[in-house]
Amino acid sequence: MSSVAAAPQGGGRLRASGPRRLLRRPHRRSVLAFGYMAVPLALLLIFFLAPLITLVDRSFRWELISEKTGFTFQNYSHIFSDHTYVHIFLQTVEIAAIAMGVELLIALPLAYVLAYRARRWEIPLLLLLVLADQLNPMVRIYAWRMLLGKEGLINSTLMTLNVIHHPISALLFSRFSVIVVLVTGSMVYTAMPIYASMKAVDRRLFEAARDLGASWPRTMRSVLLPLVAPGIFISIVLVFIPFFTEFATPGLVGGRSGYMIGNTIAELISATGEFGGGTAMSIVLLMGAGVFSLLAFALTRMKNLETAA
Amino acid sequence: MSVAARSFERAAPPVRRRRRLPSLHASRELGASTASVGIVGFVMLVLFGPLILLAVFSFNSSTIISLPFERFTFHWYHAAFTNTGARSSMLNSVVVALIVAAVSLVIGTMSAIGITRTRFRLRGFATALHGATLVIPSLIIGVAAVMFFTLVHVELSLTTLTLMHIVCTFPLVTAIVGAGLVRFERAPEEAAIDLGASQWQMVRHVMLPQIAPSLAAAGLYAFFESFNAFELSFFTSGYQQTFPVWVYALLKHGDNLPMINAAATFIAVVQVLIVIAGWTLMKRLVRRQSAGRNLSDVIMGAARA
Repeated sequence: MSSVAAAPQGGGRLRASGPRRLLRRPHRRSVLAFGYMAVPLALLLIFFLAPLITLVDRSFRWELISEKTGFTFQNYSHIFSDHTYVHIFLQTVEIAAIAMGVELLIALPLAYVLAYRARRWEIPLLLLLVLADQLNPMVRIYAWRMLLGKEGLINSTLMTLNVIHHPISALLFSRFSVIVVLVTGSMVYTAMPIYASMKAVDRRLFEAARDLGASWPRTMRSVLLPLVAPGIFISIVLVFIPFFTEFATPGLVGGRSGYMIGNTIAELISATGEFGGGTAMSIVLLMGAGVFSLLAFALTRMKNLETAA
Repeated sequence: MSVAARSFERAAPPVRRRRRLPSLHASRELGASTASVGIVGFVMLVLFGPLILLAVFSFNSSTIISLPFERFTFHWYHAAFTNTGARSSMLNSVVVALIVAAVSLVIGTMSAIGITRTRFRLRGFATALHGATLVIPSLIIGVAAVMFFTLVHVELSLTTLTLMHIVCTFPLVTAIVGAGLVRFERAPEEAAIDLGASQWQMVRHVMLPQIAPSLAAAGLYAFFESFNAFELSFFTSGYQQTFPVWVYALLKHGDNLPMINAAATFIAVVQVLIVIAGWTLMKRLVRRQSAGRNLSDVIMGAARA
């Protein structure tokens, strides 16, 4: 208020207040920043960073697995030498890779239709997809379990219609059911970044390609695909990594052949209380996720990613 | 290239095109439309089909969830609402999500303003920390929280769960609101301050009205982020359960139950209503602003990533 009021009173005071304001500003600014950031940062430091540091620290200690105290690699060497864990990890990689592949096979044409062919249906369809994405994942998992079970809807319908005489037991508690539920659970999440990057493509390029004699498949491969590659990479990073920590889906529809590394961690921590292996495995997964996303980001140029996101 | 050559190139194809292309183009167009409808129909079927069947069988009087459909009944809804586990877990989920959404909205907006409108030494670090909560899988955050609360001897309960939900949710608000703030000029805000408005008056009367649609979107997403969270809740809730944890615990060692159908249908319907209410609110807020941004813009902006 004072600087505004001071303005008409003459040059003398204005000149005096100028430098003073400049001097005061940085101080006021940092107070302001502190006011805004103190609570959020305190929360993040205490309840996010401190737990993560605890997790790293614990995973390198004897305390979790024996009476001894101090530093050790035992937790890590234990999980890497146990064949069961290695086997489960490889199985997880396999399931996640297949699910990601199926996901892309569906999400790519879906994003294409939304971006270029849906026209007046585009917004309603987008809203429906976002709505589907917001529904509780547990409800979705349960719905599939109800459909695929041995006495589930699909089997009982087929039996009633006399198509089959014995229920198909491979529908549930198998790799198949895990992949189905994983794919449907993150379909929207996969399609959105691809859709966004397709939306950003200048459509005159397609006309140019056609005028130059390119067939539709050729246009897709040589014009569209390179332009939406960053979107595809974002999708992969967003969807593929979380598959490795998923344990609700494999836990409820997976059975033994659909068992994933997330289940192992959940069981070690919450059921059997083997904190040593659980924490070490969490850290390994975290490192793996970090390395994977770095690789993905390095594969596509950073600049492309920024424009697409 | 000369003008003549170009016009020749342009003139030549229509002769062929007129004779051959119309029918070919029409059939190709038909094929493409069929394929488009097919892929969208397939996706909608796998996304919504199971949920619709889930709802249908919540009204079936049989205790086994399979065909044939016996009699119509509300019995399972009655069972779900009188079952202590179902009722308390649903109530817990709603209360926790409301608290988390409200607190996250305030704290997330504060840090969004702090990050986009002020300069301080740790800004890069603060931004990275916010981003990390969204990137690091919640299973790992959950395990870390268990280790942390064990270390500091705090018993796990709905309180620890709410705290962890807030910590993992408010950065989402920061991202959405921050994206909204970046779009607006700072001049009106500086003008307000220069004209003698206090910081709070400026935020209340200049900043918040501008970002109202972002705030609505952020509130909606924050609510669902907490409401749908399973992994984080599984580890940090102790003996008290939220809805996803209750369903998981029940199904992990038991069979499908029509009561779960009823509870799940109820939850899904409530969620759909909340989403529609949120969108209507956002639409109204966007329309009230003169800015020519449309709804899909807000939704896409809020669709995380």
